[in-house]
Amino acid sequence: MTTATTPGDTTQTGGYAVDVVERTENRMVLSMGPQHPSTHGVLQVITEIQGENITKASPEIGYLHTGIEKSAENLFWSQASTVIERMDYLSPLTNALCYYLAVEKLLGIDAQIPERANQVRVLLSELSRIASHCVWLGTGGIDIGALTPFFYCFDLRERILDLFEASGGARMHPNYIRVGGLRDDLPEGFLGRLDAVIAMFEPRMRDLRGLLQKNPIFQDRTIDIGIISADDAVAWSLTGPVLRASGIAYDVRKAFPYSGYGEYEFDVPVRTEGDAYARFLVRLDEMDESMRIIRQVRKRLDAPGPVQIADTKFAPPPKETIALSMEALIHHFKLVSESFRVPPGDVYQAVEGPRGELGYYVVSNGDNRPWRVRTRPPSMYNLQVLKKLAIGELIADMVVMIGSLDPVFGEVDR
Amino acid sequence: MPSSQAPPAGATALDPTAVRPDIADARILRVTPAEIRATLAGLRDDGFTMLLDVGGADYPGREPARFDVVYHLLRMPTKIASVAEVGTPERVRVLCGVPENDPVVPTVCDLWPSADWAEREIFDLFGVRFEGHPDMRRIQMPDDWEGYPLRKDYPLRGVARERTPRPSFALKSNVAAGTPASGKTAAALQKQISQARGRSDFHGAADPAQAAQSGTQPGGANTAGAATPQQLAQQPVNLKQEPPK
Repeated sequence: MTTATTPGDTTQTGGYAVDVVERTENRMVLSMGPQHPSTHGVLQVITEIQGENITKASPEIGYLHTGIEKSAENLFWSQASTVIERMDYLSPLTNALCYYLAVEKLLGIDAQIPERANQVRVLLSELSRIASHCVWLGTGGIDIGALTPFFYCFDLRERILDLFEASGGARMHPNYIRVGGLRDDLPEGFLGRLDAVIAMFEPRMRDLRGLLQKNPIFQDRTIDIGIISADDAVAWSLTGPVLRASGIAYDVRKAFPYSGYGEYEFDVPVRTEGDAYARFLVRLDEMDESMRIIRQVRKRLDAPGPVQIADTKFAPPPKETIALSMEALIHHFKLVSESFRVPPGDVYQAVEGPRGELGYYVVSNGDNRPWRVRTRPPSMYNLQVLKKLAIGELIADMVVMIGSLDPVFGEVDR
Repeated sequence: MPSSQAPPAGATALDPTAVRPDIADARILRVTPAEIRATLAGLRDDGFTMLLDVGGADYPGREPARFDVVYHLLRMPTKIASVAEVGTPERVRVLCGVPENDPVVPTVCDLWPSADWAEREIFDLFGVRFEGHPDMRRIQMPDDWEGYPLRKDYPLRGVARERTPRPSFALKSNVAAGTPASGKTAAALQKQISQARGRSDFHGAADPAQAAQSGTQPGGANTAGAATPQQLAQQPVNLKQEPPK
């Protein structure tokens, strides 16, 4: 494979205009993806390799671009969350929560959200984190030949998705979180099913740790692979477990508590090694911490309470009042036919998603539709560091590095 | 449903960020493209080491700067730090107004490597160019796309579809026509489809000789450009390349 090419020649890369132009002796260009089972979506990585060592990696994204930000601008404030939930499809509720927190700040009702609504929001966020980490752990294990954890993870995830279905009516995109609270209260029997998930969680995590954590093959494949130092992690804008595996304990839930996260006791798992194994351990510990929060929320959920603000200009009035109250009927009609209006202004709101700081920069011009909804996509920034991470590593470790960054392409490409 | 959002009659402000309510989410700075590099470099040396995000926004009609490029910065330690050491880091938002006739901003890729994809995305979706960026090409849309989709004057469903009333399946299909470049009339699109059919590698072409012939008469449609889009939309399009009777 010693072809001399001129700079700008794209024939070697299948016609793609990529920035791999410096080619010397004994180097070849290998295109991974976009259809590759271990790229966790539609990622193409144009790699330049010398022997088995990667000398240059250039990720190409955009294969899943669906224009969600443009769509959101053309929908009502309350409709936009249906497309926004589809960005990070492994933790849709986190996206909806962050968007609505931003909208509530612009409306000035962020302090009025009922306690129970906040508790359920925290519960669903943490369940989403566990479900999302289950997908990462299962598919990440498959990448390096460990098939069994996949079934253990997806079984646990399936039970959590059952909880989403019970609460919001859909497994993946329930659109359950609404402005001013939640759509409905939790249904009857939900808490019993939640208890069952809590009871099965610990033995399941023990199994998963036993299968992977001390597994010498798994350790060989992940220890000292893809090391990111703390200052590199900050320069490349990494957040979430990837940043915390490099030693910086930045967690939005601790730094900027939202939805009452300040009331719960939990630790922020940190490692200092910065390699793929450290990221694996941080995520596993995070799942345990999430369950710790869920147990605390569970204790508070026995007390009933309202799950929506009382102001029916934003939250639809209770169905039974519509036949009795003219005002309720008017508000219901206005909300359905033209949604609510949001005072002009811009706001940035962040939450700790499973992949890092998920941010929404929302601009309103006073209309009933958002003027601009800009997402700060954590996995796009986390994935970008692959350009630096991969250099000098073996081509066989590329899938480990991609897996340890945990990108979701609905969010990278939006 | 309207395809693009018109500014409401009631809202007077073209620039919502100027009339925002009192929300303490970040310190906000407004700069011009000439000052942006010095401002951001100064902030970085001041301890705002993390560039969280670079986003864009479009305010058509705002003078002198139609676009905003929005930088979100976070004060973050660059060495190993515990939760207490990180604390509640300060946020800064830098809004850089960009004029419509000369949408160019100096890049900050050399200050933060993470700005690379974010700047490419703004170029791709808003058409704001970043001077000095090492690789200024589209990132989300195809390389040959025309127009900047997140601009407010870009129709929701794309220019080609908006201009064709009740398009037939073939007119909608960018598989048959290649990616339909925006700004083209229905007649030009029809011509493009017929050319695509004439190609021997096009899967619908029966044989090269017939395909070459049908380049002028695809499915009996008149491609001379005389037909109006309404007429074109009503004409049957022969996708299976059956020989004309």
